[in-house]
Amino acid sequence: MIRKIAVYLLLTLAALSFLYPFVWMVSASLSSEAGIGSLRLLPVEFTWQNYLTVFDRIPLGRAFLNSVIVVTITTSLVLVLGALVGYALARLEFKGKQLVFFLIIFTMTLPFQITLIPNYITMVRLGWVDTYLALIVPFVMNSFAILLFRQAFMGLPQALIDAARMDGAGELRIIFQILVPNVLPTVVTITILTFMGLWNDALWPLIVIRNEQTMTMPQLVTLFSVGGRADAQLGVKIAAAVMLAVPVILLYLFFQKHFIRSMASSGLKD
Amino acid sequence: MATITLSHIAKAYGSEARVIKDVSLTVNDREFVVFVGPSGCGKSTLLRMIAGLEAITDGDLLLNGDRINDHPPKDRDIAMVFQNYALYPHMTVYENMSFGLKLRHVSKAGIKERVTQAARILEIENLLDRKPKDMSGGQRQRVAIGRAIVREPKVFLFDEPLSNLDAKLRGQTRLELQKLHRSLQATIIYVTHDQVEAMTLGDRICVLRGGDVMQFDTPVTLYNEPANLFVAGFIGSPPMNFLPGKLMGTGNSVQFESESGTVCLELSAHPHRDVYAGNRGRAVVLGIRAEHITDRPGTFSHSQSTTVDALEHLGNEIFAYTMLEGVRFVARLPADSVMTINNTATLYWQADKCHIFDAQTERRL
Repeated sequence: MIRKIAVYLLLTLAALSFLYPFVWMVSASLSSEAGIGSLRLLPVEFTWQNYLTVFDRIPLGRAFLNSVIVVTITTSLVLVLGALVGYALARLEFKGKQLVFFLIIFTMTLPFQITLIPNYITMVRLGWVDTYLALIVPFVMNSFAILLFRQAFMGLPQALIDAARMDGAGELRIIFQILVPNVLPTVVTITILTFMGLWNDALWPLIVIRNEQTMTMPQLVTLFSVGGRADAQLGVKIAAAVMLAVPVILLYLFFQKHFIRSMASSGLKD
Repeated sequence: MATITLSHIAKAYGSEARVIKDVSLTVNDREFVVFVGPSGCGKSTLLRMIAGLEAITDGDLLLNGDRINDHPPKDRDIAMVFQNYALYPHMTVYENMSFGLKLRHVSKAGIKERVTQAARILEIENLLDRKPKDMSGGQRQRVAIGRAIVREPKVFLFDEPLSNLDAKLRGQTRLELQKLHRSLQATIIYVTHDQVEAMTLGDRICVLRGGDVMQFDTPVTLYNEPANLFVAGFIGSPPMNFLPGKLMGTGNSVQFESESGTVCLELSAHPHRDVYAGNRGRAVVLGIRAEHITDRPGTFSHSQSTTVDALEHLGNEIFAYTMLEGVRFVARLPADSVMTINNTATLYWQADKCHIFDAQTERRL
């Protein structure tokens, strides 16, 4: 019994240490500038003013829309292309298959910073700077998504593909109507990880986007927080950060069950 | 109408040896043909080549006289039932059965009619809204068959469809498949490694070994006149007893004599005595089925004194095991036989029912 209490106590402390900064952030964003100094969990002198100020000073609505457009299109393409390449690597026989697979794995070991400058030069040469294309195209081929799809498809019985072929399905229909619906946990995992990675990314947009109307939310919030436009008002910066975090948290809560299940198992078996 | 002709069909993967060597046979319209053989004999590969799921390396595959080697599976008008059912897990039974029809642009009303009709035949009308995971193995098997039936194909291919069912259900489904074949009047090619399934279902059976056809004939012919040692050993349960020896005799007499002389079997009354007489001196293998060895004397019987070292009482019959010149022999005896282990007993062989195979070519004389 004592042991159980101790475990619960420890887990509660761990949970609090994760939750406290976030709760404080929300609370501080709703407090007056003078009240932010305290470490209390409830807002001091409750006010919406910080949020109103953010919207007043930067085009956050536009940035939100930009982020939604970029992240939705990119995530969709990551899923479609990941499934296509994953299927080819899992189920088709062609020369150089192993080499292609190892090359894809190899790209996973390269830190993003290494390809940052070559990618930027490519964007400049293509004339894509300050366009959505610069935010979308470099991310649509995701080696992690390819790898996950490949593994998931390999776990499905070949007879499923054969049966679909006998029924008259072509390769695309086999992939998207037969295989993908049977690896939904993988789809959800890729969706969440890609979405979170893209949604929070500020570095790449800072390099390729200068036009405020094309900026994504993290980029705009970063520029706003460190660029001096917040007039050193902590509450306003925190309010902007809260609005940046909310969509990801909502998405996570929505897919939570799938996410945990997909992390725990590799997929379905017939 | 669907006649399938395989003409010198061969299959090789890359530069490896051929897994199907040179298969030529014709499956007639409305015929139920069974491909049978041990694991790795190429029976499933052959079926998949007919289905279009495996490329044909050499030879011609004809459907009603048209060469279909290069036709994709969907254009062959052939349906297939898989060993592990291969139902789409995310679809209901209705969706599983209608998927192929939708792709063939059959009208909604048409699909409904065909699916309902197939469901009625297979008695799965109450399962149409269920998903495969909510059904038993037997029910899934019916749905898999249903999915093939609704297509109304020219040819049905079955790839070991009963191997995942328990013994009781297997027997039951076997009978239903026979009924289904009669009612559909379809051409069926069925793959199994179970010779009982092959014998009970097939109009004709093709026995395969190592990518070669060993014999392609009716079940009765396969049983009574096996073409070679392999077919003789494969068809029938328990398997045929074999004993190496020589053909001997002079004048009108011809005998089989085992290598150590323990067995000397008079073959003068055998239907093939003339053939045997012409092969005197040849090294041969004698084959005799367990059911042709009894404990009661009869016409043309050969009495053989032996020691029974094991008995299996099955209720309706007894299997008695003995050793002859180092070879295990089994006799199928009536249930009322009185035998005791490790005592000398006399068993009677029906000499006219035995088979003689050339020891070298393994072919039946």
